[in-house]
Amino acid sequence: MSVSTPAERDELNQLLVQSGRGDQKAFAELYKRTSSKLFGVCLRMLRDRGEAEEVLQETYTTVWRRAASFDPGKASAITWLVTLSRNKAIDRLRQHREELLDDPLKLEEAPDDQPSPAADAESSQEYRRLELCLDELEPQQQNSVREAFFTGATYNELATRCKVPLGTMKSWIRRSLMQLRTCLDQ
Amino acid sequence: MNTPADDGNNNLRYAEYVLGVLDADTRAAVAHEVETIDEAAVAVALWQKRLMPLAETIEDVKPAAYVWARIHDALQFDAPVRSAPRKGLWDNLALWHWLGMGASAVAVALLVVMALPRQTTTPTPTVISAGYMAATIQQDNGSTGWTATMDLQNARMVVVPATPVAFAQGREPELWLIPAGGKPISVGMIALDKATTIALDPATLAKLGPTAALAVSVEPIGGSPTGQPTGAVIGKGAIGAAADSRTKVASATVARTDRMSV
Repeated sequence: MSVSTPAERDELNQLLVQSGRGDQKAFAELYKRTSSKLFGVCLRMLRDRGEAEEVLQETYTTVWRRAASFDPGKASAITWLVTLSRNKAIDRLRQHREELLDDPLKLEEAPDDQPSPAADAESSQEYRRLELCLDELEPQQQNSVREAFFTGATYNELATRCKVPLGTMKSWIRRSLMQLRTCLDQ
Repeated sequence: MNTPADDGNNNLRYAEYVLGVLDADTRAAVAHEVETIDEAAVAVALWQKRLMPLAETIEDVKPAAYVWARIHDALQFDAPVRSAPRKGLWDNLALWHWLGMGASAVAVALLVVMALPRQTTTPTPTVISAGYMAATIQQDNGSTGWTATMDLQNARMVVVPATPVAFAQGREPELWLIPAGGKPISVGMIALDKATTIALDPATLAKLGPTAALAVSVEPIGGSPTGQPTGAVIGKGAIGAAADSRTKVASATVARTDRMSV
């Protein structure tokens, strides 16, 4: 499944709009094309197959019910879908926050999220731009932003994982976000 | 793109919300703003656009087929969507029950596939697809306990009671898949009085075939505590292909099921 070319994006937008009109066939096609991406997102955050499956199911049932509110003028379907799955996964993470606070996963042990050259070649223009802007950040700050995005961790959890004070983590991320915005909105 | 109102702490909160670093309470507060304040919704949408492309680097992982079956069931879709001719009947319990009462497994599967072009005005004989398997679970008293039909494409099974034997208080029927020469694998608890739809995981799905059989045992409520049958096995049935791939059925049959499928 690839969603990086404008034509593919348009097709997904169309499928989501049709789903909003109650078209079950379009919805099935949308699932076929996007579920692997969304499952990857859920699995990365929840790190448990069963939980990721539940969240994926919740995500798509919500997609079906809310598809009518999707406005392709405001967001692309893939952004809308990834956002929805991340929100569901983060909600799930917050539900058992206590258990996960003790998670031994450290930044340095986290899987390498640097894109491979192949991924780079297939990536969208939007992604390449974001990557350029991320590269302008200090390495630690850049890693914190990536870790936050991929794992859905809270400030507290990130600070624990990176062994820095909470205030330091907050200022790293906030500064990074503002820098990213300036860079991306140029 | 930025307006003065866009800047400052609020915008930072929206960015933090989208990135996902806020704790549960703050998150809920921002989510509420997004629902109720236009400016918040716009700011959050902008941040989503900025940050979501990062998800492109996450490796795709194909979910198991039963996840789609669960979504499909949860939304009560009227048919397995990816196979256009099948509409409505899968979820029609009255039809399942009727089929379970008297029909042989082959006839059940045949009817299911046959009866489906409900929307065509003239019923036409249809080619049977090979995506189904079926089993009739015979009890020791000679009567049919249940009929099971397996929809391979959508990874699920419908088990319909015919005339199952009575169960003592606190005991329920559990369905098992027995691969040739293998140990029983629990498929799930089944009902005595209504059809049970069970999503099949890939491991179970892979073992369905003409050399495997289904069996029903008497177990405590909720299922065998050991993962293997603990009570008496009260019925068994071989699994067969649901129908020959080119069988045709007279239109009279279609008419009959049409009436049942309202």
